[in-house]
Amino acid sequence: MKRYLFLSLPALIVVTAVVAQEQVATFRQGTPLHENATPPAIAKVNNSDLRQTRNYPEQPPLIPHKIDGYQIDVHVNQCLQCHSRAATEVSQAPMVSITHFMNRENQFLTSVTPRRYFCNQCHVTQGQVRELVGNQFIDVDTVLDIARQPQDGGD
Amino acid sequence: MFGRLIALLKTTWAIISTPSAFISLGVLTMGGFLMGVIFWGGFNTAMEVTNTEKFCTSCHEMRANVYEELKVTIHYSNRSGVRAICSDCHVPHGWTSKIARKMQASKEVWGKIFGTINTREKFLAKRLELAQHEWARLEANDSLECRNCHSAESMDITRQSTRAADMHQRFLFTGEKTCISCHKGIAHELPDMGKVEHAATGSKNLDTRDIVVFLSKTEEMIKGSKE
Amino acid sequence: MISRRDVIKAQAVAAAAAAAGLPVPVAAQNLVTDASLTELKWSKAPCRFCGTGCSIMVATKAGRVVASHGDAKAEVNRGLNCVKGYFLSKIMYGSDRLTQPLMRKTNGVYDKNGNFEPVSWDEAFDTMAAKWKETLAKKGPQGIGMFGSGQWTVFEGYAGVKLMKAGFRSNNIDPNARHCMASAVVGFMRTFGIDEPMGCYDDFEAADAFILWGSNMAEMHPILWTRIADRRFSHPHVQVAVLSTFKHRSFDLADIPAIFTPQTDMVILNYIANHIIQSGAVNKEFVAKHVNFRLGATDIGYGLRDENPLQMAAANPNSGASEPMTFEDFAEFVAPYTLEKAEEMSGVPAATLEKIAALYADPDTKVMSLWTMGVNQHTRGVWVNNMIYNIHLLTGKISTPGNSPFSLTGQPSACGTAREVGTFSHRLPADLVVTNPEHRAHAEDIWKVPPGTVPDWVGAHAVEQNRQLKDGKINCYWVQVNNNMQAAPNIMEEGLPGYRNPENFIVVSDAYPTVTAEAADLILPAAMWVEKEGAYGNAERRTQFWHQLVNAPGESKSDLWQLMEFSKRFTTDEVWPSELLDSSPEFRGKTLFEVLFENGKVDAFPLEQTAEDYANHESEDYGFYVQKGLFEEYAEFGRGHGHDLAPFDRYHEERGLRWPVVDGKETLWRFKEGSDPYVSAGADFEFYGHKDGKARIFALPYEAPPEVPDEEYPFWLSTGRVLEHWHSGSMTQRVPELHKAIPDALVYMHPDDATALGVRRGSEVKLSSRRGFILSRIETRGRNKPPQGLVFVPWFDARQLINKVTLDATDPLSKQTDFKKCAVKIEPVGA
Repeated sequence: MKRYLFLSLPALIVVTAVVAQEQVATFRQGTPLHENATPPAIAKVNNSDLRQTRNYPEQPPLIPHKIDGYQIDVHVNQCLQCHSRAATEVSQAPMVSITHFMNRENQFLTSVTPRRYFCNQCHVTQGQVRELVGNQFIDVDTVLDIARQPQDGGD
Repeated sequence: MFGRLIALLKTTWAIISTPSAFISLGVLTMGGFLMGVIFWGGFNTAMEVTNTEKFCTSCHEMRANVYEELKVTIHYSNRSGVRAICSDCHVPHGWTSKIARKMQASKEVWGKIFGTINTREKFLAKRLELAQHEWARLEANDSLECRNCHSAESMDITRQSTRAADMHQRFLFTGEKTCISCHKGIAHELPDMGKVEHAATGSKNLDTRDIVVFLSKTEEMIKGSKE
Repeated sequence: MISRRDVIKAQAVAAAAAAAGLPVPVAAQNLVTDASLTELKWSKAPCRFCGTGCSIMVATKAGRVVASHGDAKAEVNRGLNCVKGYFLSKIMYGSDRLTQPLMRKTNGVYDKNGNFEPVSWDEAFDTMAAKWKETLAKKGPQGIGMFGSGQWTVFEGYAGVKLMKAGFRSNNIDPNARHCMASAVVGFMRTFGIDEPMGCYDDFEAADAFILWGSNMAEMHPILWTRIADRRFSHPHVQVAVLSTFKHRSFDLADIPAIFTPQTDMVILNYIANHIIQSGAVNKEFVAKHVNFRLGATDIGYGLRDENPLQMAAANPNSGASEPMTFEDFAEFVAPYTLEKAEEMSGVPAATLEKIAALYADPDTKVMSLWTMGVNQHTRGVWVNNMIYNIHLLTGKISTPGNSPFSLTGQPSACGTAREVGTFSHRLPADLVVTNPEHRAHAEDIWKVPPGTVPDWVGAHAVEQNRQLKDGKINCYWVQVNNNMQAAPNIMEEGLPGYRNPENFIVVSDAYPTVTAEAADLILPAAMWVEKEGAYGNAERRTQFWHQLVNAPGESKSDLWQLMEFSKRFTTDEVWPSELLDSSPEFRGKTLFEVLFENGKVDAFPLEQTAEDYANHESEDYGFYVQKGLFEEYAEFGRGHGHDLAPFDRYHEERGLRWPVVDGKETLWRFKEGSDPYVSAGADFEFYGHKDGKARIFALPYEAPPEVPDEEYPFWLSTGRVLEHWHSGSMTQRVPELHKAIPDALVYMHPDDATALGVRRGSEVKLSSRRGFILSRIETRGRNKPPQGLVFVPWFDARQLINKVTLDATDPLSKQTDFKKCAVKIEPVGA
């Protein structure tokens, strides 16, 4: 019994009726493989400063501003000029997460651990472009909402 | 250009150092005045030549390092096409300050001759010192060269990003900070900021690496002492 | 307990939420404290992307993946992920998931020129089986082919190779790892006689210097880069040297940056060997005891079609031959590679070259060399691998903590599946090869199939398969877990023609409709990542397992299920020659499923042994623990032969183990006494892959690349990946956050080149080679900063298939394509 706990819960993929089609490669947007579409203009980067809801708490926050020319190298980390602990009063920017002070042994350092030095390995800006394909991930709160709704039968 | 200037100067010197036997005082005075005008004009022309981007990037040290770095920044290429050349930021516009800066620059000629920064490595080693000179100069003159183009009065902060508008209101308009206090490294790469002394920049958040290095050393020492 | 009805309701909720502009879910508005609701089920799984092999904790709730993060208990990543890894939770939920088989049809019947229509699995397999049988009857085993993957689970790769080599008796099976790791493999086999790195990731915390050969780890192996950054910043004596043909993000950490002219890595490496010898830095004792010197064959061609003029001009095409030489001979061989010559040819300043050489030469500096595609995707990739080992062997800097020539991998199981399982056209599991009769006999013995079942001919490798499809030699072709129409070189001349050849029937198994799927005739919907139980093996020999955590959507099934199910449709009488059946009549009339998977070994473990809390869709279908049976049979190949794997169940408990696992203990540094149980007592070092226990240093010269820029095509083109997208982007581009982070491929170019061409950032350009073209846009300020004369274009973007442009020249020994060098021209469009 145990093993079938979630078998009654198929994924929420909306199985749309597939009609006969010649081109199926969604990303190509109808351009046949042997042809080349006009490439879209270089996307402008979102610079709204508005924070975007995370899909789950563990997700690294997206960068809501431009980072053109921000130097992060062996000499300097320009992100920390605003996001370091000491800078946040002046900058009013979010402080780097406390997890970023932990070394490989999970001990806290007094400053950001060098293993987290290169911010853009996890934090990225967002171009003002449309999704190529939708994504049907739903967050845990929505799943909880469903779970808390009164059972009216079921199968 | 220089050859011609020197030749001109030599000729002029030859003429004025020889006592005149045939020309009247009036002519001499008039001539002196005219020569003054010519000399003055020539000097200024020559000085303006040293302010062109072509002149600045004619030497490898500038072309391969700071100029190459400038090319990918907003001060070289941007939406309106208004761009800064070297002298816009590095040479004061007022005549006196300009001459003072040019006299300072004579030291740079020695640098060129003796190859002080003739490789990328030497340049990088020297970069902090060079940058600190410029930052100090701009701190001292309240970012005069920045303000030649970016006037606080003309800033429409509603056209800026929220955080930029906020920062400008809090720090620029109140005079608490000057442009260079925050906008370092906007046209060239920054030097090793871990080595910047706090007092020099007034910055308290650029020392991450030093702290990390210090901590790990301490950690090792503690480990070592335990072993 | 949540019911199906709830889920349907959830669909409605999700749709409503989308329409109403995403109101905050009720559950998020109050603190939910009921443990039955807040508790998530966390399970481990290796990351789906690169070869680093990070361990991920995956949270599920009500049959959905709802969160994921880096596994704090995993040694590889200790809680970290890269941006792709942090978004793993979303990769399975792209709206265009394939949920049922699709076949090209006209008027209800299969038609190569028809449109895709949904079909049942039965119809799909029936059509497929008919095509396979027809081809096998007409052309024999050489007429069919399979293209697998370094993203196959170990079980899938093993089932695939077994089905092809012992079932259909065809060696025409190759993995996409051919495009990424083949040169590394041949490099290992030549130098050490055994595949995969001797060191491990623990070297990162021990090395004093890191030297990157053509690798951009900052983007391609971000988590390993965090370990290098940690080491470099925390220990001021540590130095990082980065060598590449263009400036990229790894240069941000470089103490010693070096941009070299393409192909001259060979010159630099020989210069370093020469420097080590000339400066007296040779570890004479190590060399005398543990190393042989060999002079390799030269002028070996470029892996192009035999009739290609370049190939015909080669003196020793495809020759990996070598003859013994002395140390003195070797010293003389590398002597012409002076500092001056290296500087002149590579364009790297002499002072920089000396610094790099000094790191290797200094006996007190522990050096880790790192490389991936810059070295492997190289028409002399095997040689360059050999040459890197040369300098580590000359100095004895190998197999000890921090002294480590380390070949990184690009796919999650390039090592675990492609290489260890041996899904290549010439290989069998555990480094065995089809050309060796003893190896074949050993495999037949383990597989319990008649002697003579496994064919002795080397099958078609990746690039050759595309050529044979075009030429109509292979007519039935099955592609699993990869997107080769986007990944393979020279698509227009050597890719598409084969797939669309009217004689051919192409099947593609994938989770999403990729360009490869579009080029196919039948598309099979695949379960992906944690929708099935799996095992991957990373670059440091670490084997990692995961459970099935959620169900695959619709009718999708794992590649393993597909392979096993397909095998049911063939009997030995249909596919084996009568000689074979005459000598082993007990096999008559059996299905391949019975022969291969109901052989008393694969089906040895009952369904009850599967984990209590996890589903397992294949095992439930077949009634036995499929993965365990396959694994235990597979492990027989390596146990006692230097490739020992632990018992199956232990891997579900551990964050992976590094083979050989002997007496329950993993091995961190191979070939070194004390850390490798296979080294004989008193040997100190033993390179037991070769019978004499010695490693080989190869004398190999610089040889020019096949195509260099000229007046007509004046630019070098290098292709590669970006941090935010993995490979062809079929998973990452379906995650909106990753897509928006880097939406399009761009032509990264030096600003002065742009000015000279009359183009600027954002200009549309036509980028073409002698083979094909794409339309793209210029980027002069991006993260990659090429020198003048070189452009970089990433290949993730399905809308800009840069492999229409690349050259299908390969390393003649490894058959791996050089995706880093060809000549192109760039013209403004509509300027």
